[in-house]
Amino acid sequence: MKTIGAEHIKDLCAGAAFLATGGGGDPYVSQLQAERLLKKYGPATLMLPEDVPDDFFVVSLGMVGAPTVTLEQLPTEEEAIGALNKYEEVTGKKIDAIVPFEVGGGNSTIPLYVAAMKGLPCIDGDGMGRALPEAQMMTFSIYGAHPTPAVVMDSFNNFVVLNCEDAHKFEVEIRAQAVKMGGMVSSAEHGMSGSLVRRSTIPGTISFATQIGNLMRMHGGLIDVIQPELFEFFGQSDYGIIKHLFTGKVLDSYREIIGGYDVGTAELQSFDDPDKKMLLYIKNEYLVARVGEKIVASVPDLICIVEQETSRPLNAERMRYGQRVSVFGIGCTHHYRSPEALKVTEPRAFGFDLDYVPLEEID
Amino acid sequence: MRIGIDVGGTHTDAVLMDGLTVVCSYKALTTRDVRQGIIEALDAVLTDAGVEPAAIEAVMIGTTHFTNAVIERKELSETAIIRACLPTGSGLPPMVDWPKDIAEVVGNHSYMVSGGHLFNGKPIAEINDVEIDKVIADIAAKNVNDIAVSAAFSPANAEHEIIISKKVREKIPNANISLSHEIGRLGILERENAALLNASLGNLADRVVSNMRIALEERQIDCPFYISQNDGTLMSADYIARYPALTFSSGPTNSLRGAAILSGIDNATVVDIGGTTSDVGVLADGFPRESNSHINVGGVRTNFRMPDILTIGLGGGSLVRDSGISIGPQSVGHRLVREGLVFGGDTLTTTDIAVANGSCEVGDKDRISQLDRDEVETATQTIHNIIDDAIDKMRPSEEPVPIILVGGGAILISRQLKTASQLIQPEYAEVANAIGAAIAQVGGEVEYIVSYSEIKRETALKKITEEAELKAISAGADESTLRVLDVEETTMSYMDDDAARLRIKVVGDLKLV
Repeated sequence: MKTIGAEHIKDLCAGAAFLATGGGGDPYVSQLQAERLLKKYGPATLMLPEDVPDDFFVVSLGMVGAPTVTLEQLPTEEEAIGALNKYEEVTGKKIDAIVPFEVGGGNSTIPLYVAAMKGLPCIDGDGMGRALPEAQMMTFSIYGAHPTPAVVMDSFNNFVVLNCEDAHKFEVEIRAQAVKMGGMVSSAEHGMSGSLVRRSTIPGTISFATQIGNLMRMHGGLIDVIQPELFEFFGQSDYGIIKHLFTGKVLDSYREIIGGYDVGTAELQSFDDPDKKMLLYIKNEYLVARVGEKIVASVPDLICIVEQETSRPLNAERMRYGQRVSVFGIGCTHHYRSPEALKVTEPRAFGFDLDYVPLEEID
Repeated sequence: MRIGIDVGGTHTDAVLMDGLTVVCSYKALTTRDVRQGIIEALDAVLTDAGVEPAAIEAVMIGTTHFTNAVIERKELSETAIIRACLPTGSGLPPMVDWPKDIAEVVGNHSYMVSGGHLFNGKPIAEINDVEIDKVIADIAAKNVNDIAVSAAFSPANAEHEIIISKKVREKIPNANISLSHEIGRLGILERENAALLNASLGNLADRVVSNMRIALEERQIDCPFYISQNDGTLMSADYIARYPALTFSSGPTNSLRGAAILSGIDNATVVDIGGTTSDVGVLADGFPRESNSHINVGGVRTNFRMPDILTIGLGGGSLVRDSGISIGPQSVGHRLVREGLVFGGDTLTTTDIAVANGSCEVGDKDRISQLDRDEVETATQTIHNIIDDAIDKMRPSEEPVPIILVGGGAILISRQLKTASQLIQPEYAEVANAIGAAIAQVGGEVEYIVSYSEIKRETALKKITEEAELKAISAGADESTLRVLDVEETTMSYMDDDAARLRIKVVGDLKLV
């Protein structure tokens, strides 16, 4: 079994910011917190989903709310572990391992340091293989896990137990709770057996994000330089395919809040041909990329954007006129290719009137 | 008339300006004694122009003193930080990410107390008098006089920072207090770091400002004087003692602003070529384009408003090697006047190339008559290519842009640049920094998190703009020249009540009385 220590966190955060497809918020606070706690409690043990025994009881852990809140209301050492402890207390079940919601932004690191603090393994995998805006889009519930009972805790150790009929209702409830409880809450949810974890988790994503982050951080500089290596990494992974979609500058970026999410568009202009433009549709994350009339990538495939000169991933909330960026399309893992997964993650699930065409079928 | 003085690490520049016209200029090596350097600069321009001190309406000074103090960890005071955040926030205490050496110099006097606010303006906890009194007593017992105060969400609700500062003032009457909400933006770690650096520079700021003041008094210059800050606006001299950290990047900013005035062009890319390096920055509507990312000052992460500057290793003293294919980043720097070929030395520099290709006349031209013509041609091309590449990284689009060349090394550029729609080398380009300081404006900035379900967007914009205008006026702006410089609106994702972060900066010309 592998371990992950404080020295790996910078790389993990850089890689997770890339896979966050524009969402996930500023990873700096969670990076500091993880580095500090992994130094204090020692490295976390990583366990691949395939190694999880049947009789294990695994709970998913992370934060839900507005990432901006974490910039001001810094975490305590106890709050994330508090939700997990309360979960054990309320359900009377002993937790054997923790699995991250998503490998994107701060939620990639919280399960690691809580695992280190509790002396439990953390699953090397997650429920999205990227970041997505809503709870029902996690592979856990798509493949049979029930999101509740869930324990939602704020930074004052107030907690609420949610019991919801399905993942859609859970999403509505937990978001309302987050707003009520200071804008950001920790949540322990999706209790699963070992066999459910093996079936529903996207494997190896924590290690993979760390490798990608290392590549981007060590090489730095122009994205063009590391592109061949980046392509090799993704080509050999479960994502399978990566394509360079566009290089250009940001012409316009507009967002407004609709129904509690950031919704908007961004327009990019090609360096080679000023008439060639890419339009991006955003709901917290980059969802659909269009060049002219043609859709070049869409959810659940990943649309990842980096600053061209620094290779740093670019969050949607930081996108501004004049930035020079490279856009990549990355295939989603097979977990999102099934009819039940596509039903909750394809463009129509976000209200776009268009069919999902897998990245590899678009020329 | 005004005098602009730029006290750089190597050179001190000064200009006397009548409106936007340069009357005369001065350039000398920076002296160790601030007072002496300023007196020499004042004497030089006043004598040169034959102007009486009484004719001077304002003096503007740009200085890198405070940046260098942080970078070199010199002249910083021991400083305490009180953060109001408990019961949240204890996982990442103040100074958690500081380099060890500067943390030790500043002293690791870190305290967390109950207080701060939530995103919606409600308190996390009320201030606890017993708790805060104990902290203040402890700081007083340590004889620490410089104190930074931060509180969660203080840019939205500063109440707790203000309460704490009053309590500190009661117990330590002569304390130098920096409140984070007056200095930084959202992001408590970076904002609190900024307040800490600011507080630790308090003593130095007092000394530097009083030396500046004495210099002016000794020359019977009895007018307001100002210090220029990062975003091209001025602080009155009384403010500098309270906000020295806001000068951190004023050097490049002044050169950009000076270039705009000298050329009369508000949208352009500016290349400031010095002895060892060149700074490339972008002017948007007369002001420097700002950096998007967090800024490290001496290894401490802050969120100051700073210009977006690309620094490259090419200057007038850069070494020329490999038959002109390779240039810099090594440089003879200020030893150019001894070591360059045209000055009698034996090092081939970019300045020698500029003399050889006929773009300027300095030193003894005969000393480079033996240079290989192909080498001169190759080196000339390399210099232009390096500058072209740097501009290409910074310019806003692929369209060729107007390029303004300033700084002593501007003589290196004699040919058309691929990236340039026009190439401007204005008169007085070598003292652009001092000119930028002399013409800087004054501004006011206000930032809030607003909920559009509670307040209409237009109403919020109007209210915040008015507040920023009041701030600018109190900083010395002429009310009739106010304009909005920047509106930044950041929606807060995942929130249900249409929350957004709104930041508005208003600037205006300095009111002269």
